Amino acid sequence: MLKFDIQKTFKINSATTHKSRTLHFKGELNLSGVCAIFGDSGAGKTTLLRCLIGLEQCTGQIHFQQQIWLNQPESNNVRSKSAVHKPLLVAVEKRNIGVVFQEPRLFPHLNVQQNLQLAVNKSENSTFTIQELAEKLGFKELLNHQTTQLSGGQKQRIAIARALLTNPQLLVMDEPLSSLDASSKQLLLPFIKQISERIPILYITHSEHELFYLSKQMVLVNNGQIEAIGEPQQLFLDSELSLIKFAHQGLILNVLVKKFDSDEGLIKGCLDGQTLFISADQAPLTTQIQVKINSRDVIVALKPIVGSSLLNCIAAQVIDFSQDQQKAVILTLKINSQFIYAYITLRSFNKLNLAIGSNVFAHVKTMSIIN
Amino acid sequence: MLSAGDYQAIWLTLKLAGLTTILLMIMAPPLAWWLARSKAKLRPLIESLVALPLILPPTVLGFYLLIAFSPEHFLGQWWLSFNETSLAFSFTGLVIASVIYSLPFVVQPLQSAFVHLDKTYLEVSSTLGYGKYERLYKIIFPMLLPSFIIAGALGFAHTIGEFGVVLMIGGNIPGETQVLSILLFDHVESLQYSSAHQLSFILLVFSMSLLVVIYGFLQKRQQRVLNA
Repeated sequence: MLKFDIQKTFKINSATTHKSRTLHFKGELNLSGVCAIFGDSGAGKTTLLRCLIGLEQCTGQIHFQQQIWLNQPESNNVRSKSAVHKPLLVAVEKRNIGVVFQEPRLFPHLNVQQNLQLAVNKSENSTFTIQELAEKLGFKELLNHQTTQLSGGQKQRIAIARALLTNPQLLVMDEPLSSLDASSKQLLLPFIKQISERIPILYITHSEHELFYLSKQMVLVNNGQIEAIGEPQQLFLDSELSLIKFAHQGLILNVLVKKFDSDEGLIKGCLDGQTLFISADQAPLTTQIQVKINSRDVIVALKPIVGSSLLNCIAAQVIDFSQDQQKAVILTLKINSQFIYAYITLRSFNKLNLAIGSNVFAHVKTMSIIN
Repeated sequence: MLSAGDYQAIWLTLKLAGLTTILLMIMAPPLAWWLARSKAKLRPLIESLVALPLILPPTVLGFYLLIAFSPEHFLGQWWLSFNETSLAFSFTGLVIASVIYSLPFVVQPLQSAFVHLDKTYLEVSSTLGYGKYERLYKIIFPMLLPSFIIAGALGFAHTIGEFGVVLMIGGNIPGETQVLSILLFDHVESLQYSSAHQLSFILLVFSMSLLVVIYGFLQKRQQRVLNA
């Protein structure tokens, strides 16, 4: 369990004003598996994480399992000298957190092996060895290289190994994959998921794909506050949350797998009782998959379209619509228990004479499998 | 060839420069760190004081030190309260003067390295479990080793080349304050040009080789690390 209630004050010094802005984060997280921290750029995700690690000065309380990492009253004036309210701050190096930053930040004067050795030197009975991680993360042949000669993807793999070698009680990752190529991501994502079974992970991400693949729990950060904590699937459907603008681009649906046709490379699935065909390279490993349907890939018709290449036709009902700045219309379509958004032009909306309660057929051109 | 007096002066000069460099390598790193990181209002003033010997005529510094060392003044008085001889015209006086005189040459390369040191390396060190001081000597010092060598070498070389300050406060006592540059001046004044040539050539070759090592090797190495 990670419980925190912290305030961080920034001085905003511009030419005209000397204001300060206070961010207030409060929440309680179950630490099992990956907990994703999601939100817009500038929302305060990295600040929250840096406060939790102890790299940023803040006031308030942070509790991790049985440990107290921070207990400092909000205002300096109230700081009493009595023993009861003695301010408490555990230094970063004593919190035993493994950190992977957005950039690898390897020490440039050391080679790969020496970089990793620095972490090993400080950890007691590490659960990993350099050799083991080098093999798993595929940098065995790089151990004697200078870090300055490596590519971004190679460096980040080594940075992840370095964080793990400290034998951390919590692993914290700040968009670790954001600047990496697709093949590095493909290697690292399953690895991170696998690691999270042993060590709890806090994981900042911008990517919905990473979010849904890795995490069972997410923290939604918006405008310097924690807006919600919960399961990603549920938060994405909550129209009250700021998340709705991500959701408008496309929603994630749960689909039951009926069968996989390897000749056609198609999964036959079931979405709320209706049949759905999804292209896939290989048979899915689970009986339930998550599929993202982009709202711009949905074609709305009053009757099923026949004689076209479209495979998927889902009967649905319009339960809501809204207009965006570009005058286009976003329809909320209810299938049975699940929802999809359709993004259509105002002209189409008027031509089809749509209203709340209209029964329509949603034709889906493409969709992507998340996990 | 070199005379016994020449050897004595060379030994004295090396002793002075060595001792000065050791003292500077103890004092300068914390000072340079503070100058590189502090936002205190006092910082520009301290920085100017440290840099002063770069532009102040050595004779001016020597003159003020001579006055400070004299028994009429606080420092000289305090020194005489537990020493028999005065600070002026003594080896100890030379060491104190050299430390002040060579300070900017040691502080500035270190300060520049500390300014260009990415703060994130300190953060990473702490997340790896290294404490406040441990991260400095186990990680940052090895990372900036070329800068430390450059700083030490410049301080050492600059002390060897010191003339004006020594002339003012050291005088010309063989074995005590007669350093190379003063002896060289003596040789020229007494028209012993071949001895002067020998000493000059030694100093020239030493200084040139040192600078070639610094600019051709150490500085490049450090920049490669800092720009990574």
